[in-house]
Amino acid sequence: MASQITSKKNPIGVLGAGSFGTAIANLLAENGEVLLYTRRPEVVDRILHEKRNVGQVMNQHVIPTTDLEMLCARCYLIFPSIPSDGFREVMKNSSPFLRPDHLLIHCTKGFDIRLDEGMTLLDKKTKLKPADINTMSSVIIQETNVKRVGCLSGPNLSKEIAGGQPAATVIASHFDEVVREGTMAIRSKRFQAYGSKDLLGVELGGVLKNSMALSAGIVGGMGYGQNSMAFLISRGLSEIVRLGKALGAEPESFLGLAGIGDLIATCTSPLSRNYTVGYRLAQGETLDNIIATSTEVAEGIKTVSICKKLADSLDIRLPIISITYEILFNEMSVQEGLKYLMEYRKGSDIDFL
Amino acid sequence: MDVLNSNLNDWPLTRISRNREKLMEEIIIETISNFNKDYQKGGLIRDELAKTLYLERTRIKTEPWKVDPEDDFQFWSHVKNKLVKSDPSLEGKEVAQDIEQQLLKDIVTRYVHEITGYFDPRFFLFARQVLPMIFSRLLNASFGKITGIFKPKVLLKDKLFVTGPIERIKQLSQKGTIILVPTHFSNLDSVMVGYGMDMVGLGAFQYGAGLNLFNSSLFKFFMSNLGPYKLDRRKKNPVYLETLKTYSRTTILHGAPTLFFPGGTRSRAGNIEKNLKLGLLGTVMEAQRIHFERNPSTLAPKLFIVPLTISYHFVFEAGSLIEDHLRRTGKEQYITSDKGTSFLKNMSKFFFELFGATSDITLSLGEPMDVFGNICNDQGESIDKFGKVLDIRKYFESKGALKADDQREAEYTTLLGKILVDKFHENNVVYSSHVVAYVAFELLKRKFRKEDIYSLLRMPEEDRYIPYDEFVTAMRNIRERLYYLNNNQKLKLAFHMTKEVDEIIDHGIRNVGLYHAKKPLYKTKDGYISSEDLKLLLFYHNRMEGYGLANYV
Repeated sequence: MASQITSKKNPIGVLGAGSFGTAIANLLAENGEVLLYTRRPEVVDRILHEKRNVGQVMNQHVIPTTDLEMLCARCYLIFPSIPSDGFREVMKNSSPFLRPDHLLIHCTKGFDIRLDEGMTLLDKKTKLKPADINTMSSVIIQETNVKRVGCLSGPNLSKEIAGGQPAATVIASHFDEVVREGTMAIRSKRFQAYGSKDLLGVELGGVLKNSMALSAGIVGGMGYGQNSMAFLISRGLSEIVRLGKALGAEPESFLGLAGIGDLIATCTSPLSRNYTVGYRLAQGETLDNIIATSTEVAEGIKTVSICKKLADSLDIRLPIISITYEILFNEMSVQEGLKYLMEYRKGSDIDFL
Repeated sequence: MDVLNSNLNDWPLTRISRNREKLMEEIIIETISNFNKDYQKGGLIRDELAKTLYLERTRIKTEPWKVDPEDDFQFWSHVKNKLVKSDPSLEGKEVAQDIEQQLLKDIVTRYVHEITGYFDPRFFLFARQVLPMIFSRLLNASFGKITGIFKPKVLLKDKLFVTGPIERIKQLSQKGTIILVPTHFSNLDSVMVGYGMDMVGLGAFQYGAGLNLFNSSLFKFFMSNLGPYKLDRRKKNPVYLETLKTYSRTTILHGAPTLFFPGGTRSRAGNIEKNLKLGLLGTVMEAQRIHFERNPSTLAPKLFIVPLTISYHFVFEAGSLIEDHLRRTGKEQYITSDKGTSFLKNMSKFFFELFGATSDITLSLGEPMDVFGNICNDQGESIDKFGKVLDIRKYFESKGALKADDQREAEYTTLLGKILVDKFHENNVVYSSHVVAYVAFELLKRKFRKEDIYSLLRMPEEDRYIPYDEFVTAMRNIRERLYYLNNNQKLKLAFHMTKEVDEIIDHGIRNVGLYHAKKPLYKTKDGYISSEDLKLLLFYHNRMEGYGLANYV
């Protein structure tokens, strides 16, 4: 049964008309009216006239708008789906219109990093402490008066969702109300939603897996098969869990859809940008060359750097992430990296729960 | 003393005490209704009563107190007999339910009578005159200057400083209900806070005093009429907890200015509280929502949370508290050292030392906040972090309708707890004694970095020497960092902290744990800094935890 919130009186809001925002808007529109915010008027025109956006056919119940104030006034439940780089700014812009009774469930898999002036994330000298990174839910809390926040995360490749394939996700929040309203709003015959209380764990699962996608690309580029890939995914998971735990997440969260689920989807999807970077590295290209010939910087490069720097500051050992970091930034050859990993002395298999 | 003095009869606590019987009746009805709401659905009332009975009988056997009523055993035997006889399979469901409800009412009524406090304005006036006089008398005795009981030389008010936005808090106490939430280091906190608040004209607060304190006849004599309700930490049964929460919520709804120690008990390790007990704080959140349910937004009475950090140079129970802490962390077998010294003896010695030295106490009040941690202005409006007026009623709303949601409110309470911990640290007035203890212990920790804390505490005295130069250098570094934190509103510095480093060190060493027979810190004749009691030093050191100072020593 659709909740009251999905009735015509209270449309659901989506912020950001990128490929994921559009896919989410279309999913939500299966249960009622959706207002989709974009700051670009041409996108509104395109959706209105061509009934398409970023290659996806638009559901007729999605109403595009550039009016953030109107959207916030009409919607109680809003799904921000903005890339992490621009997330804070959009929250700042929305802040005057957001009220304490809003529920916000973000769909952004990324960190908001605060670095000292002149420092960059890819700089080897830059150090990172847990206090320097924010998840998107913390950004919402910092920039608005909204307290009832949550996130949506899982193995959700936009193209497959847009293609109508069955999939599932996790909605996490400390507030039962947010989980309840979010799952009711998005569930449909082709999209299942599960709840979680571990907001941080679910957020971290979505971000940390990007580093493994890059390593998976390396394994693929070397021409190795499923044994090696399974090795990478399982041990990669254990590294993600250890880092996540150190950052305050519940280890169990990484064993669900938003953890291992998303990891499998990302590591076995050869079309992702992260995977491609790893693949090309294994084929002998340099990182500089790959970056120079790519239109967008793959998120995974940043994530590897973040994970490595965090692991250093927390004093935890993450061999796969460290080796990937060395390959990316310190000219370690892929063969050398592999040798190091195979010789790495390791104790028991499950040591992270 | 203040304008409030003239209309003592209009004080909320006086008004509430006047209608004490009616209030108790209301609390009994409300508790039973809440309890039934929670348990009746699943048919669990009987189970909960049985659990309560079991826990109460165990308490009577294993932990009897002088203050317990004489008929305790008979009462619970009666409950047992009734409960056994009311087996639904024998008596039928309806008869059994009637008996269960009657028992529930009996138990709740008993608890409400035990818990409910009493405030007598005449006694309050008497205590206001007499208590400081006793304290001051002690002071003059300690100086050997007996000048007659009516002419003390130094007054308690000269030793007790209350800082913070007092005028605003006073104004807000007229517009809503003040909920004072102090840090908790000593059994004397409630007396100090009570006296301090009255001294600056904030009137009387109700607070939950441990029932064990009423074992002392002196405490009982003074405090019974001054507004505390009684809290029994032995009773963890579901009926008692529900009664206590209902008591707290109902009196707050009636406008009783209330004092909670959100840390629950005194800080064992000597640190500023990090983990708060949220049970009673949760009743504040509920009470605010109920005010909104009963009134339109603009007229709904508001609850103003005022954090309060208490600074002492010494805590008279420090020894037993830190031992308790170490025992709890469980790495060493300790012999119980709490010898059960009497309240009177402790109190006399405390005041003797307090007045006999340059020591003082600061009660540092934070800015009043709403239940979501937004600062409130003079008009009682909530100001959000962007400087705009915020209608907090909407936090209790869902899709435009205000409704109770226990889980949501529990989460809000958790968030409030985190904000309070930050505020405790920000309002903390740092004393020289805290800093010297911190620096000394950190230096020792560094010197013996291979040892764990327990081995360190057993270090023989000859290994505890710190060269004075090394100590001064570390103090200089720390002071610089403290200035930085002070400028960024992360803590406050006592006036004496602005002096030269040598003076701060002297002042700190003189004052740290002044009360104790064994000195936590002293200067040796040949110019070293050392400690006679490392556990006490650790206790006073812990006060400065939570500011990330270790790297600056």
